[in-house]
Amino acid sequence: MRAFQAELSKLLSLPGIWLAVLIGAVAPAFIAALDSTAQKEDIIAGISTRLSEVGYIGLAVGVQGVIILGVLAVSSEYVTESSESGGGQQITTSLTAVSSRLQLLLAKAGAVTVISLLLCMVAILTTVSTTQLILGEYAPAFAWSKLTGAVCYWIFTALLAFGITVLTKNGVIPLTVLIMNSSVVSFSFLLSKVTTLAFYLPDRAGTDMFMIMSDRIHTPFTGGLIMFSWVAVLLIIAAMVFHRRDVAA
Amino acid sequence: MLTINNLVKRRGAQEILSGISFTARPGRVTGFLGPNGAGKSSTLRILLGLDRATSGSALIDGKPFAELLNPLTTVGAALDGSGAHRMRTGRAHLRWLARAAGLSRSRVEEVLDITGLTNAAGRRVGSYSLGMGRRLGMAAALLGDPEILILDEPVNGLDPEGIRWIRTLLRERAASGNTVLLSSHLMGELSETVDDVVIIHHGKVVANGTLAEVIGNHSTLEKAFFALTSERAGEMV
Amino acid sequence: MRITPGRKITNILGAELNKLVTLPSIWLTISGTFILNLALAAAFTSIGQQGAAGSQSILDIGLATMGYLQAGFILLGILAACSEYTGGQIRSTLTVMPWRGLQLSAKLAALATITVTAALIIAASGVLYTLFMMRDTAAGAGIEIDTMLKALAGATGYLTLTALLSAAIGSLLRRTTPALVILLGYYFVISPVSGDALPGYFPDKAGSYMYMLSSADKSDVLTPMQGTGIVMLWTLLCITAAIVLYRKRDA
Repeated sequence: MRAFQAELSKLLSLPGIWLAVLIGAVAPAFIAALDSTAQKEDIIAGISTRLSEVGYIGLAVGVQGVIILGVLAVSSEYVTESSESGGGQQITTSLTAVSSRLQLLLAKAGAVTVISLLLCMVAILTTVSTTQLILGEYAPAFAWSKLTGAVCYWIFTALLAFGITVLTKNGVIPLTVLIMNSSVVSFSFLLSKVTTLAFYLPDRAGTDMFMIMSDRIHTPFTGGLIMFSWVAVLLIIAAMVFHRRDVAA
Repeated sequence: MLTINNLVKRRGAQEILSGISFTARPGRVTGFLGPNGAGKSSTLRILLGLDRATSGSALIDGKPFAELLNPLTTVGAALDGSGAHRMRTGRAHLRWLARAAGLSRSRVEEVLDITGLTNAAGRRVGSYSLGMGRRLGMAAALLGDPEILILDEPVNGLDPEGIRWIRTLLRERAASGNTVLLSSHLMGELSETVDDVVIIHHGKVVANGTLAEVIGNHSTLEKAFFALTSERAGEMV
Repeated sequence: MRITPGRKITNILGAELNKLVTLPSIWLTISGTFILNLALAAAFTSIGQQGAAGSQSILDIGLATMGYLQAGFILLGILAACSEYTGGQIRSTLTVMPWRGLQLSAKLAALATITVTAALIIAASGVLYTLFMMRDTAAGAGIEIDTMLKALAGATGYLTLTALLSAAIGSLLRRTTPALVILLGYYFVISPVSGDALPGYFPDKAGSYMYMLSSADKSDVLTPMQGTGIVMLWTLLCITAAIVLYRKRDA
């Protein structure tokens, strides 16, 4: 528990985290506002084809915030990008303070999970109220099951980003790939046109938890289960690698 | 010849340097002392044109650093750390420096040899120890065979052999008419190497003169340093 | 030792080029982008082959990867600029080359020489792969060489300008992560999501006209030259801001 609290305070004292929080909490509402405004006339006229997606698209984009969170949680331990630091990495200090590596990793993953959870709840709150404000009585009803799906999607994505960064030790690669992939035309969307196996990729399966795509093949529950298995496997691999490797390597 | 004249540096509301003046003359090793945060590094950074002074001047042979025609062959500087990217090899680091100053590649091998880094030259800087990083910094400073050396904590992290090497090197450079300015915390080491001493405290010069003048009535440089820099020195006695 | 101004500039350019080519992450980014681009080109080609034959031109399919490809060049620009701030290298740089405006310009020029070559090879490889795979289809028959060269030149120019723009932003921010988040966030999230809400003279939208030659049937389109001019203006604006700030602030 002490290790968990330490990880929480370490994360919250990183300036980059506040960028993540800003993106995670504000961006979804902003995009939902844009989308609702654009769709308002169609929705009132009853001809909108995307009524069920309004608001959720913001949540799908706001996941960037937790991607940054998950990546920074690990990469900050290895960073040396400062003009005065003589090559010292925080990971050395962290491992001297908490000697069990597994415990350190669990505490860190726990801190990432808790912050993602809170961030997603804030994002849902702002997104739902923005949509209500703009669309008024025409606003779609937000189902609890889908909102829970969005929360799970955020947490799983944060943990995926976390796990990949443990393996690469460097934030640049996971950040680039994951931000590119949270774009409208993601790699997995592209691949799903080529092979149906792509529907089993974590982000594609995970989206089924809260977005109704025209070509979905999973129920929200199986979608969540598939994404969770990816997270679990990745974290186990990350834990094994982290346990075995030399800190300085 | 280095001339610092009434240098003032403010960062926000904080005054880091409040009117520093001193000179470092050719043929002498000048020691620059002060507690942590006294403003030593800020002074050296302004002298090298890295930071901008709020007012006052820091001149090298009468010119600001940026107006030197070929800086690397005039001033050699080694500040904190190696000053090299972690992913580059030591040799690659020195090569681009040499390229920028129009020096030959054989000079790179020479300074690698002088600093004892020849065997480590093909390794990434990120894998260097603290002492090897310092040696790489020294190699960069010596690359242009400059008349002036500006060194921040040169012996920090060096082994006893390295410390002796630095001491001999600095004495030799001064003896052949060059200017050497170095900052250090190690009083014992400093009193064996320097001719002149400048001590600063809270951004002000509190002592400036030859080693003997600064030591004065105190038995060692260390005692003189503490007498000059401890808070309310007079009341403690 | 007297040094002529011309000699000084070649020395600085040489040093900056030297710095870039000895940085492993630059090579990793270029080769990673190359491989990723080929993989994506293969995916797009396979989608194109499933679709109605001849419905899309080979150039459109070959350059469909541009949207992803630009990420590699954004990264290249950021790495070139922000690598100065790792291990205090900026101090070494400025004690050898205290002429800040000149030094940063030389760095960008060195970066441009690398990105022009890399962009040309990468973009051409994608188009050639598509051409090779689809040479038997109806679309393969009608390909004109000079249209292809024009599109490739546009793509190379766009990628190079994007890398320079990113380097300028990287130099303004000095830290890799925020620069990466802001640039990728704009190019991959904000811009696509906001769709037509953003005006057409934003760098990525104007830039797309540099290589998407076949979309000339819409009314509000720009010519390739107009697109080039707008992206160039954005790039110069960011570079100027970067140089002004670089000269003013403490290293």
